[in-house]
Amino acid sequence: MGVKEVIGVLITLVAIIVLVYAYASAYATAGGQVKGDIALYAAICGFIVILLGPYLWLGEVPTAIKKFVEAKTGVKLEEKK
Amino acid sequence: MFVYPIIILLIVLAIYAIAYILYGRKILEQRVVKADASRPTPAITKFDGVDYVPANKYVLYGHHFASIAGAGPITGPALALNWGWGLPLVWVLFGNIFIGAVHDYLAIMSSVRHGGLSVMTISESTMGRKARYIFLAYAWVALVLVLAAFLSVCSSTFISTPSAATVAVFYMPLALFFGLMVYRVGLSVKKATIIALILEVILIYAAYYMPLILPGQGPVPYQTWVLILSVYSFIAASLPVWYLLQPRDYLNAYLLWAFVALAIIAPLVIPIIGLTGPWITSFVAKGVTIGAVSGTSAANADIAWFWPTVPLTIACGALSGFHSLVGSGTTSKQLANELDALLVGYGGMLTEGAVSSLAVILPAAIVWDFSAFAANAGLTTDVLLKAGINVTKTPVITSLGAVPRFTTSYGLVQALVWSRLTGGDFVAIYKGFSTFAAWALTAFVLTTLDTANRLARFAWVELFDWVRGRSPGVYRVITNRWVASLIPIAIGAITAAPQISNPLKPTETIPAYQVIWPAFSGTNQLLAAIALLTEALWVYAVLKVRGGVSYLIMIPAAFLWLTVTAALFIWMIYIVPSLPLLYIVTTGVLVAISLILDIALIALFAVSLRRASKL
Repeated sequence: MGVKEVIGVLITLVAIIVLVYAYASAYATAGGQVKGDIALYAAICGFIVILLGPYLWLGEVPTAIKKFVEAKTGVKLEEKK
Repeated sequence: MFVYPIIILLIVLAIYAIAYILYGRKILEQRVVKADASRPTPAITKFDGVDYVPANKYVLYGHHFASIAGAGPITGPALALNWGWGLPLVWVLFGNIFIGAVHDYLAIMSSVRHGGLSVMTISESTMGRKARYIFLAYAWVALVLVLAAFLSVCSSTFISTPSAATVAVFYMPLALFFGLMVYRVGLSVKKATIIALILEVILIYAAYYMPLILPGQGPVPYQTWVLILSVYSFIAASLPVWYLLQPRDYLNAYLLWAFVALAIIAPLVIPIIGLTGPWITSFVAKGVTIGAVSGTSAANADIAWFWPTVPLTIACGALSGFHSLVGSGTTSKQLANELDALLVGYGGMLTEGAVSSLAVILPAAIVWDFSAFAANAGLTTDVLLKAGINVTKTPVITSLGAVPRFTTSYGLVQALVWSRLTGGDFVAIYKGFSTFAAWALTAFVLTTLDTANRLARFAWVELFDWVRGRSPGVYRVITNRWVASLIPIAIGAITAAPQISNPLKPTETIPAYQVIWPAFSGTNQLLAAIALLTEALWVYAVLKVRGGVSYLIMIPAAFLWLTVTAALFIWMIYIVPSLPLLYIVTTGVLVAISLILDIALIALFAVSLRRASKL
């Protein structure tokens, strides 16, 4: 696993923890509203960060799609770095 | 004549089914483009794992439908109720089948046959190099305007309906999870869909009880939302399509299909409830119907003649230039098989027409006169008052603004249906469904937001292809996907976030982009006219389709051009002079430029058509 992937795993884990915290915190407050406290920022940060984490972790070309294209074209695709 | 909801439902569904099979499959697919499953598509031949990625046809249908359906199929027909409910319905059906769906399908197919390039670049092969760059620059500016408007609309909706923000925020991890299940774990689309939909229902239920409210007073939450959504749009537009765009739009489409399905169920449960609205109120409505700014003399003048101005009011539900950008932008780059294009392009547009006709116009026709509706439904006006509808203050649906017209009528009809089916409390069900309607609107807008940003990136890259030969280093930088995504969204945010003094009411503030937004409907529909002319020429000159079948595309294209041009002239003559100076130098100039471009491109079209006819 390269540096990019490790960073991706860390970001993904942090994003998941932050999002779970946002949910849990909202449930803990009266009325369940995500309103103007740390839970709100947690929800928004988690929302942005989780867009990037799995992308860095898992890379650009999924195997399923790669195989489909290779089968259609008969040409083996090069690994993207 | 007494018309019932069930009759309208059956007519609309029958027309769409006949159009799909006879016009779509038999003519467009088999006789015009001669779609061939064995011909490789750009998603295969130019596969890059980012933008050119083959997609399952139902996933792509979800993406295309969710992307072309912005706020337009809802707000446009809602505003067009100023002409009555019958005229807008006829226009939605006619425009949808003969113009909009043809335009969308041919945009996808012409792009597929040109390596996934945009319809603007394809115009070079039919109308020359100048037409291409003018068209590209025009489309890019229009897309930036879309970004500004949708950032603003979305931010405002998140403030007015905070639970919609919760849905949007927590929807993203769900979409990523679905994408990972399908593309990484190798789970079938069917199994992954079932898991994701169960989670989606839980999420939606939770969101209703967890509104996301930003802190602060005045414009602060608005600007914060603009910033957050800009960051989101920038990232989402740069990431590979399989990662977020495909799964997000696919799952989002279920929310939107549920929204349409509920609209279809309603006439089956209340099949013969009387319609309380007029078929036609007048062929001429007030100027505000076609975008005249409130507070100007034109807004209250009788200048909105149904023809030719209706395309300025009803865009996405019938036809829209933005669709050609989606079709020849993201969709054509993900089409795995030429035969999928009919469902995705023609079918996607018919689905959008169903949103306008069955989810917006028909419910409005049922509840139009609130007192009469209450009598028909066996309710009292006190029940409506508890639901927040004061029949004395707002006796008819047209007393409300465009978005409340939609949320109110959709909510009332669904409340009647489900209170009858379940015996539940009408007011509580109404509040639930009017919130659901607001979510659907936000879902439409949010998916269109990052797709528009991605499309702006594509247009930007094609616009600067001439730099590649002269300075490869500069080309690499300006067309880098992160850079090319950042520029349009940054400009969009800069025009959406600031609040300026309203020139017509100095005590009020408006988002800055609004001084240019009134021109958008005209520029967008002009884009549709130019795109359809380009496609008609492509069919005639490149595919060499001649005779009767070619007229089926050429005549709607010419009709659309004539209609939009006449509407733009009405705008220039009656509306622009009534505007304050700030609007004239922005909106007025843009409409004037559009008209000049319009004339120049029709001249190029005529020359190219004559040249092609000799070949």
